[in-house]
Amino acid sequence: MNQRPNILFINTDQHSWDAISAYGNPYLHTPNIDLIHQNGVSFTKSYCTDPVCAAARSSWATGLYTSETGVPFNGGQLHPDIPDIGQVLKKGGYRSFHCGKWHVPGRDVRESFEVLYYGNDNIGAGGAAYYDSASTHAVADFLTNYDEKEPFYLQIGYIDPHDVCEYLHNHEEKRIPNPVEQGILSENELPPLPENFDYDIRETVLNRVCRRVDDALIHSRILKAVREWDELHWRYFRWNYYRFIEKVDAEIGRVLSLLQQTSFNDNTLIIFSADHGEACGSHQLFQKFALYEESVRVPFIVSCLGEGISIEKERFDNTHFVSGVDLLPTVCDYANIETPEGSQGMSLRPLVEGKDINWREHAYIESNYWGRAIITDQHKYVTEYIPKTTEDFIPPGPDEKQLGLVQLFDKQNDPGENVNLAYEPNYQEVIDTCRDKLLKQESQLNRQKIVHKGPQNTITNWGNRLQDFWQN
Amino acid sequence: MIESIPLHWSFDYNQGAQKPDYARELIELLHLYKDSSDSRNVNTVNGQHRRHVYQILPNYWHGYQRRNNQNESISIGEVVVERRQENGDLWKYNVRYINNTNGENLRYRFSCRDEIYRPLHENWNVEVHNSCTDIYSKLSWDGYLTSIPEIQLRINNTDITAGKIDNSLPITCNWALFDVFPALVESNKEKVDSVDIAILDDLEQLRPKCRIGYLDTIESPISLVGYFLYGTGSLPSYWWIDTYGNTVIFSSVFETLVLKEKMG
Repeated sequence: MNQRPNILFINTDQHSWDAISAYGNPYLHTPNIDLIHQNGVSFTKSYCTDPVCAAARSSWATGLYTSETGVPFNGGQLHPDIPDIGQVLKKGGYRSFHCGKWHVPGRDVRESFEVLYYGNDNIGAGGAAYYDSASTHAVADFLTNYDEKEPFYLQIGYIDPHDVCEYLHNHEEKRIPNPVEQGILSENELPPLPENFDYDIRETVLNRVCRRVDDALIHSRILKAVREWDELHWRYFRWNYYRFIEKVDAEIGRVLSLLQQTSFNDNTLIIFSADHGEACGSHQLFQKFALYEESVRVPFIVSCLGEGISIEKERFDNTHFVSGVDLLPTVCDYANIETPEGSQGMSLRPLVEGKDINWREHAYIESNYWGRAIITDQHKYVTEYIPKTTEDFIPPGPDEKQLGLVQLFDKQNDPGENVNLAYEPNYQEVIDTCRDKLLKQESQLNRQKIVHKGPQNTITNWGNRLQDFWQN
Repeated sequence: MIESIPLHWSFDYNQGAQKPDYARELIELLHLYKDSSDSRNVNTVNGQHRRHVYQILPNYWHGYQRRNNQNESISIGEVVVERRQENGDLWKYNVRYINNTNGENLRYRFSCRDEIYRPLHENWNVEVHNSCTDIYSKLSWDGYLTSIPEIQLRINNTDITAGKIDNSLPITCNWALFDVFPALVESNKEKVDSVDIAILDDLEQLRPKCRIGYLDTIESPISLVGYFLYGTGSLPSYWWIDTYGNTVIFSSVFETLVLKEKMG
């Protein structure tokens, strides 16, 4: 490659790793994401750093885990001294553009990027039907007009399929129709219940208080509604989720079609990923926030529709654990810019080029401030920190004495995560090994104190609720 | 649901969307239209010039925030669907869509043949102006159907294919559906089996296989016949037609369009 490539980072929101037709999902049709896959390498062991929007996006922007960024949940604030991907690329001679959803609180996107489109009131969640279409228009205008000599980095943040949340909110209190009885759909058009619809109730306290109890910390009104759902309601919810994905796939298709007609096509690297997944009925859950696979495992594809960048076509990488922290180092590597010091990520470029290099042996994920997971080839270890009696607002870890309950799953023999093995005596050694990996990983993090009052209040309020549970 | 003013499930967004005034505003709009002197014009489907104005009510929870004035309308924009019949067999559409949330102001110009499913005819044009303050301020594109048939779009002198169409299906635009459903009522086909159709959403995104069909009939808040539209790449939407041949309510996950004014 003679010149530095343009880089197009297309991201969707709440898009589970397997909700792509090229990966064999028969319940939706995503010809455009399929095209990205057919022209690149799909990393199938790709995980978000934290299954919630702002937190995961803070990792994309910085190459850091969420206990380091200041955004360990949606209400956090990015620490001001951490450089973001827009700033890094700009300093490295790129034109850095942003379009659509950003959702990294504490960082004004317009200070780090040249912004194509960000709505009237700064795009958050909701309203994808309006914002995603406008984002595509903005990108169409950009791709058909850009004639600067510098290479560009353009990140497009689509909201969908996140707006399946709107479907859930809309049905908090109103009756959901039975589309089969209405004669709208036949039953065989609806996806079946997921194989892991049931769940092992021996979950962490954190997950139960956040997602299961009557007055759950997160979206308890939706929880109340879905408790009334029957099998068909769940299946219709899944059917709707896939329509949201098809909708955003069409937007992506417009961008790809235009790119293919421009002179940039051969020399534009495309990275496609999502901030987190969607439970979509697995374990009788909806949305994200949990550490089950459907919420934390996301697509990650590195691709080029032309021939100017060395990328093997239509290859699955089923070997390497990829994390949201890898975006920044990967982009920097292709841009020939030094990755900021302290980044936790690794460049995927050698893997894309088929090189054999030393790689991490597990994925590390945080959730809801106190939740943690380590994923190895064989096991998934999920645990939690018990909230401190006196909160210092430094994200917890590594602290073995403060660890709470454990969920352990055998990924090879129980991919649906149906049976928690943590209570089987034979697995104590596995738990010890995973815990050691967790503590070692966390010893390498530069955890930073949460300094803003708003997120501090969230930690205090949530911590008090969790303390009540632990004490009773 | 507010007990005193029950709405059909397909356009009831009272509570879940945190808009307690939604039902009141929707019903007020319906009555505003119904009470207007022009609403009872007969034979409107075959009229020469028709103009319908719709208020956009938001259905989505997180994107909508009531402004400081609690008495302010929850409306987030307006749609004007205007069309003229020309040469006896063509309808020339001019649709203006103004959305205050995303800042886009769109104008769609296209033609359809005077048939029940309003098939798209020849070429079309879309102009978009964006009121937001960032780089993107405007865009326009032209489109046409090829003989294959497939959809071709030209955006800033760049030509792209926007999808191929199954020849056996009628293809229309979502904005022409405001006349397709009334035509189904008028032709007494409202309760026949559902029909497959291709939709070119906003003259831009092809939904190659959709299905439309009869949904329900209601008498409150006014007498309406309902239809559904489902399909690949398309979120379910519901369309309600009054006894005078007007599409009065369109509702999907994100928005409900309510007729507030009409001519012809």
